[in-house]
Amino acid sequence: MSDSSPTHDSPPPPSITGGVSEPTVANESDTNAKCQTALQSLSSIVTTATIPPTISLLLEDNAVSAAISSLLQLPDSGAGDNNLCRWLYDTFQSAEPPLQLLVLRFVPLIAGLYLSRVPLRQPQAGFEAVLLALYAHETTSRAGQAVTVNIPDLSHPSIYHESKGPAKNNSTCLNIAVISSTLDPHGTVRSTRRARIVGVALELYYGKISMMPRESKLNFCESCEKWAGQNGEREEQKPRALIPEEESVAVGGRSEKDTGRIPLPWELVQPILRILGHCCLMGMKGEEDREVSDAASKACQSLYLRSLHDINPKAILATGSLLRLREMALDPKNQIDHTEISSDNVLSV
Amino acid sequence: MLENQSKELSENREDEITRQLCANGLCLKTTEVEAKLDEGNIQEAESSLREGLSLNSELCANGLCLKTTEVEAKLDEGNIQEAESSLREGLSLNSEEARALLGRLEYQRGNLEGALRLFEGIDLQAAIQRLQASAPPPEKPVTKKNRPREPQQQPVVPQHAASLVLEAIYLKAKSLQKLGRTAEAARECKSVLDSAEKIFQQGISDAQVDTRLQETVSHAVELLPSLFKDSGDYQEAISAYRRALSSQWNLDNDSCARIQKDFAVFLLHSGVEASPPSLASQVEGSYTPRNNLEEAILLLMILIKKFNSGKAKWDPSVIEHLTFALSLCSQTSVLAKQLEEVMPGVFTRVERWNSLALCYSAAGQTSAAVNLLRKSLHKHEQPDDLVALLLAAKLCSEEPCLAAEGAGYAERGVKNAQGMDEHLKGVGLRMLGLCLGKQAKVPTSDFERSRLQSESLKALDGAIAFEHNNPDLIFELGVQYAEQRNLKAASRYAKEFIDATGGSVLKGWRFLALVLSAQQRFSEAEVVTDAALDETAKWDQGPLLRLKAKLKISQSNPTEAVETYRYLLALVQAQRKSFGPLRTISQMEEDKVNEFEVWHGLAYLYSSLSHWNDVEVCRMWEGRREFKPALAAFLDGLLLDESSVPCKVAVGALLCERGKEYQPTLPVARSLLSDALRIDPTNRKAWYYLGMVHKHDGRIADATDCFQAASMLEESDPVESFSTIL
Repeated sequence: MSDSSPTHDSPPPPSITGGVSEPTVANESDTNAKCQTALQSLSSIVTTATIPPTISLLLEDNAVSAAISSLLQLPDSGAGDNNLCRWLYDTFQSAEPPLQLLVLRFVPLIAGLYLSRVPLRQPQAGFEAVLLALYAHETTSRAGQAVTVNIPDLSHPSIYHESKGPAKNNSTCLNIAVISSTLDPHGTVRSTRRARIVGVALELYYGKISMMPRESKLNFCESCEKWAGQNGEREEQKPRALIPEEESVAVGGRSEKDTGRIPLPWELVQPILRILGHCCLMGMKGEEDREVSDAASKACQSLYLRSLHDINPKAILATGSLLRLREMALDPKNQIDHTEISSDNVLSV
Repeated sequence: MLENQSKELSENREDEITRQLCANGLCLKTTEVEAKLDEGNIQEAESSLREGLSLNSELCANGLCLKTTEVEAKLDEGNIQEAESSLREGLSLNSEEARALLGRLEYQRGNLEGALRLFEGIDLQAAIQRLQASAPPPEKPVTKKNRPREPQQQPVVPQHAASLVLEAIYLKAKSLQKLGRTAEAARECKSVLDSAEKIFQQGISDAQVDTRLQETVSHAVELLPSLFKDSGDYQEAISAYRRALSSQWNLDNDSCARIQKDFAVFLLHSGVEASPPSLASQVEGSYTPRNNLEEAILLLMILIKKFNSGKAKWDPSVIEHLTFALSLCSQTSVLAKQLEEVMPGVFTRVERWNSLALCYSAAGQTSAAVNLLRKSLHKHEQPDDLVALLLAAKLCSEEPCLAAEGAGYAERGVKNAQGMDEHLKGVGLRMLGLCLGKQAKVPTSDFERSRLQSESLKALDGAIAFEHNNPDLIFELGVQYAEQRNLKAASRYAKEFIDATGGSVLKGWRFLALVLSAQQRFSEAEVVTDAALDETAKWDQGPLLRLKAKLKISQSNPTEAVETYRYLLALVQAQRKSFGPLRTISQMEEDKVNEFEVWHGLAYLYSSLSHWNDVEVCRMWEGRREFKPALAAFLDGLLLDESSVPCKVAVGALLCERGKEYQPTLPVARSLLSDALRIDPTNRKAWYYLGMVHKHDGRIADATDCFQAASMLEESDPVESFSTIL
């Protein structure tokens, strides 16, 4: 019934479950060799732009990124025999941090296209292989353990405050919150685990978000708007068409603008919100940052409306507070520089 | 340079109308001078300076005074050497002090490049070293050897000099920051703190520090992390924040609060995982956060506490950050507690009630949330608040006894969804449909029931006109049809739901299988169940296995049913053992298979098996008396869940069977079965056994009615009640 079974497409590399290969004592030449191989194989896939000679240059190369992005946006890009997906998979499996960073850069686009294409029943084994590789990486790196948070209780003293409370009482009656639940290894994308697998890929992306370029973040914000669907945004707020070609071939029965709307369970919403929080509130200084922040706030607005439609109180709280925070940050009243020396213009010796 | 300078000055003029130069109580207004400088008329500026200063303005230090006219003029000409020397001579200042003073003048005038040139000319390290040598024990005699360039022993405390020098470095950092050279700025700023730390090894206390020095230190403490942040050095930024908050800088409450907030925001949103605080900063028995979120939440909570006790000025962004952080952790009940503690006057009461209601409903505390919403939707408060109305309707739609009230909220919501909010009309209709559907479960009469059901369908149909792409709505519509036994429509919606969600929602699969089973298409239902099992990870398979077992029974395949049940039992037990509270089974939260349910299923199977003559099965269960363990299992089930319809029916059925030989159990069976039918009037088995009870008791007419109802229901009965899904 579902499209996700990869058996119909030629499945990309085997044995995903085993996780990432052991990072051996990576001597310099080994790393270089891997990077060079990755660059060479990329040059056979991306023909419209010149591949720079080193990985660090490639990370910042807008032309190549744009070329890869447009290849990813082709209608059949997620298929199991897609060269680019295979390259992304192999590149991530190389376990070289800079190469993995390069793959993570495209996670917003891949996740966006993948989830929105699910109801279209296109073969997507290629995208799934990449996402599973990320999932397996995270599963091994934290040994499947859940990520938890102890909600502090202020009646106990902490490193930042003192408390008259009973310090002798060392009982941990703390609230434990699960940020990311335990991870079971998955060899294929089972449809009921799809959201979780993509969610984990987004968690990984968030972990490296401070190193992600502007375009990647913009891709993510656009994906979010598509996922949220139309929930009564004003006309001028309509999301930009991410993939015009694809929308025109949208399957019958659904109107074009609705194709991207997906179910948004919490395991997906939570990492989305963390990424949007970063994009919305971090760095509103430069022109480029401002563009990301504007896009993120639009995405936030869409998700806020969506959470109203779903009457999802947790999402209403989180998106609502992000929107208010951004409003406050833009308010000139709150932009006082407290580190400026006294401005009473009195110079005294 | 002059052009540059005058441009800067003209920019400054708008917001800085008067700038004064003060020394030892004497002040000089520079407005006039600046105006002339703006015009580029240096000569005139100089002469008016001369005039002005000759009247009342001099720079004084060490008991000596100096007219600043010459100094400023020299500065403007870019002649730093001369400006400095005239200061030094005139005021008996040393070179550092003179330059620091001039640098500040330039900085204030907005001439950053000029300020920087002055600051760079100071050998700050040497100055700091001298200060360090003099500072820690203030009584320590300062020898000439240590301070060779000091012409005279100053009568003032060394802090005064320290303050001047540290301020100079700080201003150098500020200038660099404003010029976009953040990495250098960070280095300078850090040296301010390093020096201050060395000078005051015991920490700074109010008694021993002069205000100006304290101001510089506080500024530097606050500036340093943001400089590292801007220069992209995130780990340094984190340690700068921690240093700011842990060392004794004698910060005032507001700036400490600002730093705590900035750090919390950085931890929450930077995406840079901070290593846990070092062991050195930990006190035994105190709470030490292990990761970003913990540290951020701790800081935000401390801030709220400070606001509440009036120790710092209320900052509305703090509670928003905390809302975001705690919602991310799904700890909205903790958030509710924080909101409740916020001082009155910050939020209006309706705001407070509504946010609390959101918190409680997200935490699953429905009745608390509904109570709050009742208050805020009262006619004297804000009865038209759309979000509150919709939330109230949704919460009420989950409880049969609240459903009527919920329908009222939903209707008001539909009425108020106008203008900008018109898109929420569909949501209102959907909630109306859900509430009416729930209300139909506790009706006073059959007529009332069918009226409510058809109104519910009407509302849901109306909603789908607004939200044709909302899978949840499609699903709810399907279930509503199914409950009214319109199975064809139900199966259409079930399939549409699976398509729209890409099969990602488990309940969609289950629903389709149930509809098919109600249509008596058991083998197709099993195919669907198997497909669903393929799409489900092992730990989530419970409800599907249970369904499968029941389908096997319906197909008269008890051996396979027993196998399935055994597998299910093993799964449930393994699950109970291997997971603590850390696991959230996302989709299975409301629909976990209870172990007792499995026992119940098995017991049911055993008791029905006793009627079979299949040799093999009989041998398997040979010598075992099924009745007692089965009854015990059901009674256990009833003890666990008083209102469990299947248990009531099963116990009723067993007692009824037994009643053939043992009359006294019949009244008990009858009351149990009637009770079950009150809750679930479409329960076929309950009708059947009730008929049996009547028959045993000799009430043939009653028995006939019951059997008729049972047979009518049998044709459209799913293997599990539809209400188990929604």
